[in-house]
Parts: sequence; C-alpha cells; structure tokens
Amino acid sequence: MKKKFQVDSDLSIVQKTSQDVLSFLRPLPLEDSVLFDIRLCLEEALINAMKYGNGLRKEVPVELDVEFAENEIRITVKDQGPGFDPKKLEACTDEKNLFRDRGRGVYLIHQLMDEVRYNEKGNSLLMVKSLKKESHPRNSKSKS
Amino acid sequence: MEVKAFEKEGVAVFQVTGEINISTSPDLKKQFEKQPSKKIVVDLEKVLYIDSSGLATLVEILKRTKSQGGSLGLSGMSDKVRSLFEITKLDKLFLVCKTQDEAVSRVK
Repeated sequence: MKKKFQVDSDLSIVQKTSQDVLSFLRPLPLEDSVLFDIRLCLEEALINAMKYGNGLRKEVPVELDVEFAENEIRITVKDQGPGFDPKKLEACTDEKNLFRDRGRGVYLIHQLMDEVRYNEKGNSLLMVKSLKKESHPRNSKSKS
Repeated sequence: MEVKAFEKEGVAVFQVTGEINISTSPDLKKQFEKQPSKKIVVDLEKVLYIDSSGLATLVEILKRTKSQGGSLGLSGMSDKVRSLFEITKLDKLFLVCKTQDEAVSRVK
C-alpha cells in the first residue's frame, strides 16, 4: 500500500500530519513501541524539512511518500531546499555536545529506524522500519 | 500538555501531563522561567511522548539551573521516554530517579 502526502511548511500541522500517516498504517499490527518510533522519526524529519529545508516558508511544500508491506514501512520525506549533508553534523552524544541542541533529531532517526538514506542532493530522506512478526496488534481485541 | 507546579520539602516540583513536543515545549519553558527555585524536580510519569525539542527544553532548564548553582532531577519516566534519554546519552547529564519522592530527597 502506498500513499502520497503533501503538506505546507507549517510547524503547527506536524502532529496532525503524523496522525494522518499513522492512520494510514492502521491495517498493520504494530506494537505501541514501534508506533512511537515511527511517529517520533516522522515528526523529527518533518520539522527538519520544514525548518531547515524549506525555511518555514508556509507555501513551500514537504512531500511525503509512505509505503508499507507486511515486513516493513518505508517513509520518504522530501523538502525543496538545497540539501543537507548529515556528515557535517557533529555527534550529539559527544560529551562536549550534550548541552547543544543541534543534531539530536537526526541522531534519533538513525537510532530508531532500521535503514536511513539521503538522496544525493540531501533534500530527501528515506526511513525504513522493519517489522517483526511477533508484534502485538494495536487493533485486535484480547482473547480470554 | 498540563503542568502542575507545587513545592515539596523546599523543592519545586513540576508534574507534567501530556506530550512535550515542538508545540508544547515553549509553554514548558515559560513555566520554568517563572520559577525562582534552584532545586527542581520534573516528574515525567504522565508524559508518554517527548521529541527532540522537548529534550532540548529540559537540557536548557538543566543548564540554567546548574549555572545558578542549583540541581534538577527527573522522575517517573516511562520505559520509552527513558530509552530516548539513554540513546542520546542525556541520562548522563540528568539525575534520573524512579519516583518523585526519591528525586525530591536527592535534590533537596
């Protein structure tokens, strides 16, 4: 299943957008912990795309491609900016950087997703979450 | 997000309920800016979601508290919220306690 979303660069709609994406993923039996990871990574990627990619110009869209199968979820977040080089980001977990703000969202995406890839330009981010078969369904009723 | 602020054994306790995200973090920051106490506990027991802007807000509050010679403790984190602190190594910066009472007694 695939779906495209297009949203304005408006931070006030980040939560609504992630809820729309999670609703689209509803057919999947996902554990709460996996839902948390997907939501967090998606919101971090959206915020970065709106803020650093599109410069918070509301009329400039962020494009989202969401695709899922039984074994994985693939989310691409694309902005219209000049691109981002993740190698230039200092490690937020270095002791000297712990008090700094930059890079923690990107770091969390790398830690919580199973595959993270940028396009050559650096304005499109692909995040892949692999799904384990033993997930507890969020939308199934418990059996007695 | 709601924040209930009260004093316990001379420590300012902030009990946060809801989500600490990019929309609610500025409100949380304002709540702390009003607080003159140097001894602070932030109870996160009822926080089920936090993003990097929420983490950054807590780091900022810690930085300010430390620069004033104070101390700050966090308590009651869910496993998921705690895991974000561990992944980002912020658990090394904060005094992390299981319960509000433990955090109050260690901060006071």
